Amino acid sequence: MKSHSSLVFEDHFQISQADLQKILSLSLSRGGDFSEVFLEYKTYNFINMEEDIIKETAESISLGLGVRVLSGEKTGYGYTNDLSFKKIKKAALTAASIASSPSLQTASPLRPSHLQHNFYPVLRSPHKETLAIKISLVKNCYSAAKDLSSKIKKVKVSLVDQTQHVRIINSEGLDIRDSRPLMKLICLAIAEKKNKREAGYSGGGGRVGLEYFAKTLTPEEIGQDAAKEALELLEAVLPPAGEMPVVLAPGHSGVLVHEAVGHLLEADFNRKKTSIFWDKMGKKVASSQVSIYDDPTIPHFRGSYNIDDEGTVPAKTLLIDRGNLAGLLQDRLSARLMNMPFTGHGRRQDYAFIPIPRMSNTYIDRGEHTPEEIILSVKKGFYAHKYQGGQVEDSGKFTFSVSSGYLIQDGKLTVPVKQATLIGTNIDILNKIEMIGSDLEFGLQTGICGKEGQSMPVNDGCPTIKITRMTVGGQN
Amino acid sequence: MTAEKAQIKLTELAEDLVSLGRRKGADEIEVSILDGYEFSVDVRLGKIENLVEAGSRALGLRVIKGKRTAFASSSDLSRETLERLVENAVKRAALSNPDEFSGLPSLSPQRVDIHSLNLFDPEISKLNSKEKIALALETERIALEDKRITNSHGASFETNEIKAVLANSNGFLQEYKQTICGLSLGLQAGETDNRVEDYWFSTKRHFHELESPEEVARNAVRRTVRQLYPRKIKTQKVPVIFEPMMTSWLLGFLFVCVSGVSIYQKTSFLAGKLGKRIGNSRVNVIDNGIVSGLLGTRPFDAEGVPCQRTVVIDKGILKNYLCNTYAARKLKLKSTGNSTGTGVNPNNFYLEPGEASPEKIISPLEKGLILIRTLGHGLNPVTGDISRGAFGLWVENGEVVYPVSEVTISGNLGEMLNNIEMIGNDLDFRSPVCGPTIQIRELTVAGE
Repeated sequence: MKSHSSLVFEDHFQISQADLQKILSLSLSRGGDFSEVFLEYKTYNFINMEEDIIKETAESISLGLGVRVLSGEKTGYGYTNDLSFKKIKKAALTAASIASSPSLQTASPLRPSHLQHNFYPVLRSPHKETLAIKISLVKNCYSAAKDLSSKIKKVKVSLVDQTQHVRIINSEGLDIRDSRPLMKLICLAIAEKKNKREAGYSGGGGRVGLEYFAKTLTPEEIGQDAAKEALELLEAVLPPAGEMPVVLAPGHSGVLVHEAVGHLLEADFNRKKTSIFWDKMGKKVASSQVSIYDDPTIPHFRGSYNIDDEGTVPAKTLLIDRGNLAGLLQDRLSARLMNMPFTGHGRRQDYAFIPIPRMSNTYIDRGEHTPEEIILSVKKGFYAHKYQGGQVEDSGKFTFSVSSGYLIQDGKLTVPVKQATLIGTNIDILNKIEMIGSDLEFGLQTGICGKEGQSMPVNDGCPTIKITRMTVGGQN
Repeated sequence: MTAEKAQIKLTELAEDLVSLGRRKGADEIEVSILDGYEFSVDVRLGKIENLVEAGSRALGLRVIKGKRTAFASSSDLSRETLERLVENAVKRAALSNPDEFSGLPSLSPQRVDIHSLNLFDPEISKLNSKEKIALALETERIALEDKRITNSHGASFETNEIKAVLANSNGFLQEYKQTICGLSLGLQAGETDNRVEDYWFSTKRHFHELESPEEVARNAVRRTVRQLYPRKIKTQKVPVIFEPMMTSWLLGFLFVCVSGVSIYQKTSFLAGKLGKRIGNSRVNVIDNGIVSGLLGTRPFDAEGVPCQRTVVIDKGILKNYLCNTYAARKLKLKSTGNSTGTGVNPNNFYLEPGEASPEKIISPLEKGLILIRTLGHGLNPVTGDISRGAFGLWVENGEVVYPVSEVTISGNLGEMLNNIEMIGNDLDFRSPVCGPTIQIRELTVAGE
């Protein structure tokens, strides 16, 4: 992998080490206190199947670099996908202009370094496999969904694979590279019965090779899972409305941790004091059973990386320790301004963006209860199973859109329910977590998180969780 | 001079790649190039946070051979890479299945007069960085004078200049330039554990049309502080008034449901409803790509089909789906100039305004909710079901009595189109998808 990555950069960026060093120095010429160049080469392939045919394939190449200069709290940024020295110089001078004082810093000589670990070794790298082989995965998934029932009227399957090569150099002498594979196979199935139509969704992937679809999760399982959800929703009722006990299914419900907690522990929101958590470090913010981590080092997970997009080696980060606020997700800028250690959570969508603190793989740690005893403890309530997504604002108010769930009656899951919304305020809900299961699971490995116009691959997870009371939005 | 020279180069590049594709065996080929320049500045609490300035280009292409389609795109515009992408695309097309509906649109004899669309403001490139930074600083400064504002997400000013070139093997070759500028501000009010927040923005193609820093600041403050000290309400069914931003959100969902792509894919509850009543007679919805100077205006779509005015809903009757060439062929309709390539995009997609001022809609309301913000997803085009977290203002006897939070609204778009009881006169084309204030007869608001 290392040698391949090196070749990639020498092939695509015909800029010498000496010129890169010049760019770093030039970007500090107006008095900035840190400068960095992010070089990126990304290839992307896409296959789409619907209406029983392979409709189209696509190939995409993204090549460019971004120059960043920090000056106190200020960030200057220039980027270009024209890689002539003249244009790179222009980007550097644009970034440099954020500072306006005599130049004090010089750039240290670059010290090329190698990664000490690889969280995503792959056997069958997707960009080395033929299109025909990838098409067969798509077809297998498609048939599995379509053949499950004559009620399945429509299926759409797509396979995306990409390889992102990054090289990060900075004025402290850092020179490091990473090559990140990412795959995703997703299936949408629509079931119909007497004018009623419902959609089911499933998928899988991660920073994996094609072996994942033979060993870990097969295309057939993904197709069947989507079709089963659509069929079940045909029998679903609209949810009850009002406050009630809510049980969150393991895995998919990780979106709750992501929205209700993760975002507001991103360091930028706390440095700016806009997050409800900014003045609560060390304080109790959740029921004492709750511990929450963000871990970019889980092998093959979608949200993992060997280095973050500032070149920092990431670490598993404890965010909430048995109910107490314990940590933040840091990027370089916030860590420096807050005088706190780097955690390796500075990420960016691509070379056209400034890195900001982001989540990777976020989860609530396992508890002591069995899932059965948790459900058994609810006389009348709602079980949230799968989600369309969620959103949070800095005040801690959040919502989740539940695409499928069940009513809980006398300690049993009964009628399937569709299209519900859960709403609450994070600290209130965290304190209402009454039971946590021992069954920690993760979501579908297809998640995308959006922040300030930047989309990032993430994953999240949780065990079965009981919340004493929560507002469920529905029509009945 | 240099800009003029670059311009010639991009159209030439597009034409060259079209010829290359034909030589390599493509039956049809389409090449699009975007050449953009962006500037943005974010300020917060009186200081610059981020300043970004950059030019970038991107190229996309579509190849059809034997009714089989392949796409490619690149931000690397070197000849070597592009020629390889064209060759690969021709080879890859052989691995797709033939699709009788695939292919480029035939060359239209009609042409929209690009100049009359008024998409480009030369004043924007004349603004210097200092002036742009000052606009953002001034906006935030005015807002922070209000003591009820306790924190700021910051103010931003940004400009974009974009040139688009499109060429295809049916003889289409056109380009146009457009500008966009925007000023925005996000605020918080209240103490840490009782925070409320909101934002306001103005986005225009022409700098002189942009709302002033005072207007943006005043609106952001008003929208934020009106939410302070919210209450929860009991679960109930009540009339709900949508502010224009909320109607715009609803229209965005309607767009998905009238998109020709959703229709042929059977992922919309409005499939099979063409020519039928889907709303009451008050409802008129238009997509118009050729109104001078608006944000959703463009001379032609991503396939080179001229943009037009399309009546989508006429007095409650569904008249047209919005189609690209592919969806149109599937549905035996005509493209409406809404293509993004494989998908469709709204041009200016809006609910026609009515007569009533927003005050006239609120004052007769005995009890109900003014919807001011929503949070989350919860839209299902297959069924039309809507369920979202909501923030609002509670109205009793025609007066706003207190703000409401932590509620959800739920309903069904099909039913809502039949239950629009009043339509306001305050359509403002703030965004490409928009609508005026409306009142829906009844929605479920879930609270305690």
